[in-house]
Parts: sequence; C-alpha cells; structure tokens
Amino acid sequence: MAAVLRKDRKATAEFVGRYADSVYGYVRSRLVPRFDQVEDIVQDVFLSAWESLQRYQATGPLQAWIMGIARHKIEDYYRARLRAPEVFVEDAEDLAGSDEALRMQELLDQEQLRKQTREILAALPEPYRLALLWRYWEKASAREMAQKTGKTEKAVERLLARARAEFRERWNRG
Amino acid sequence: MADFANETFMEHLADRVNLSEPGSAPSRLKAQIYSALVQRQSATGALMSLSESHASGGRLCVFEQLVRIAPVGEQVKSLNFCRVCHARVLAEHINNAPIYWGGCPYVELKKS
Repeated sequence: MAAVLRKDRKATAEFVGRYADSVYGYVRSRLVPRFDQVEDIVQDVFLSAWESLQRYQATGPLQAWIMGIARHKIEDYYRARLRAPEVFVEDAEDLAGSDEALRMQELLDQEQLRKQTREILAALPEPYRLALLWRYWEKASAREMAQKTGKTEKAVERLLARARAEFRERWNRG
Repeated sequence: MADFANETFMEHLADRVNLSEPGSAPSRLKAQIYSALVQRQSATGALMSLSESHASGGRLCVFEQLVRIAPVGEQVKSLNFCRVCHARVLAEHINNAPIYWGGCPYVELKKS
C-alpha cells in the first residue's frame, strides 16, 4: 500500500487487479437487478479507497477494509433510494407463517436457494427489495434504517413487514 | 404472528444464502478504475517517476521504457503517459481488448 500512496502506477494497477473482482461481486449482489448502477458504485469504492488510504491502519486485512468502504457505498445507495418522502408499495396480504417452506428448501442445494432468493428479490418492488437487503443481508436494524432515511422507526417496520410478506408469498408460490 | 414467522424466515434465509456471486469484474471496468485512480493521483502532484518505479521492481511497457531511458528530467518521467496511449482507450471500451504489450498496466488488468 505504501507504493500506491507514493503514486506508483504499477502498484496502483495491482491494487485494482487484486480487489476489483470481490468488490464487483459484492456490489452486484446487493443491487440485484439494477445492474446499471454497479460499475459506477464499484469505481466510486476505489476512488474513496484512494482518498482515505492514508487513514488505513494496517491492523486488519486490506480486503476487509475495502469491503467496508463498499458496504458504506451500498448503504448510501439504499438510503438515497429509500429516502423518498412516500415510498409507494401496494399492500400485500398478510400470510400465515410457517417454516415449512424454508425447511423444504433445506433439501435444495445452496445454488438453487441462491437462485430462487435472487429471483424473488429481483421481482419485488424496489423499496421492498432494498429494505430486505439492507435489513437482512447488511444486518442493519430498523432503527438505523430509520435514522439514515429520515423516516420514523414505525414507518420502516411497516415497510419491512410488507416486504417480508410479499417475499414470503412469492416464495410459497414457488 | 404471521409477521413474526416471516421475520424468522427472512433471518434464516439471509444467514444461509450468500448472495455474492463468484466471478470477475469486466476488464473494461478494471481499466476505467485504474485510469480514474491514476488521474486522481496525478491531479494532486507528480506520479512516481518511471525510473523509480522500475528501480522498485515495476515492469514497464515498451513506451515507458523509452521514456525511462530518454535524457529527460524526472519531472517528465512522472507524467501520466497512459492518458495518451491507445491501449488505455481500447481497454476502457472493450472487454478483453486486443492489446498485448508486456508491462502495460491495462494488459495486466485484462489478465487479472
């Protein structure tokens, strides 16, 4: 990293070559299916990494550090998209819950599970999709989401409840 | 009650499903990132000179070698020559661009 900081172009190319694939894979998975934004965000991650490289303390792996920047960029994206004053989503019917569907999926292999999850997420209205990704895959709490989007916690809870119900309905439909 | 079950379902699902896909970023994107970074670096002062880069083990392309051995000052050797290189233009616009110079950062990124 010292060489990148000293603006060695060879080290800079190596830096990009080493981390671009993992950043790209992560960003793509979090933006499904809005892939048109992926490349801009990935580039932004690297530019931000360069801007803050001097603050990087080599106490942990560089990979983890740069993925942390990527997570912040994804969070910024979710925040901007969910910040709209009125998130329009149609009401989804409340489904009686059971873990049966998920248990059945245990028979499927990981790849099938991932495919089904991605397909359902991709088909959801954007506010639902982003809320679920942010809450469950990025592990943000409803309170954090509320603070970052300027909504009330109650409003975020309601959005999440509708998103979960819609996801679950589509899951059960197969 | 139903929502509690849905919440549990989502939590279990997210714990078990890693949405990240293995795969490579397009070489075109890597080239664009590299260009943007070097551009940003050169905007805040000189890049490391090609002599220094070579001395520290960096592999230079044929054009960079020519500049390195040319009788010019270190300041000139610190310019961002990739800006005017055809390899950059091709690499930023075409995946797996037809560029093959050894030591060229865009060629290295294509292979990464």
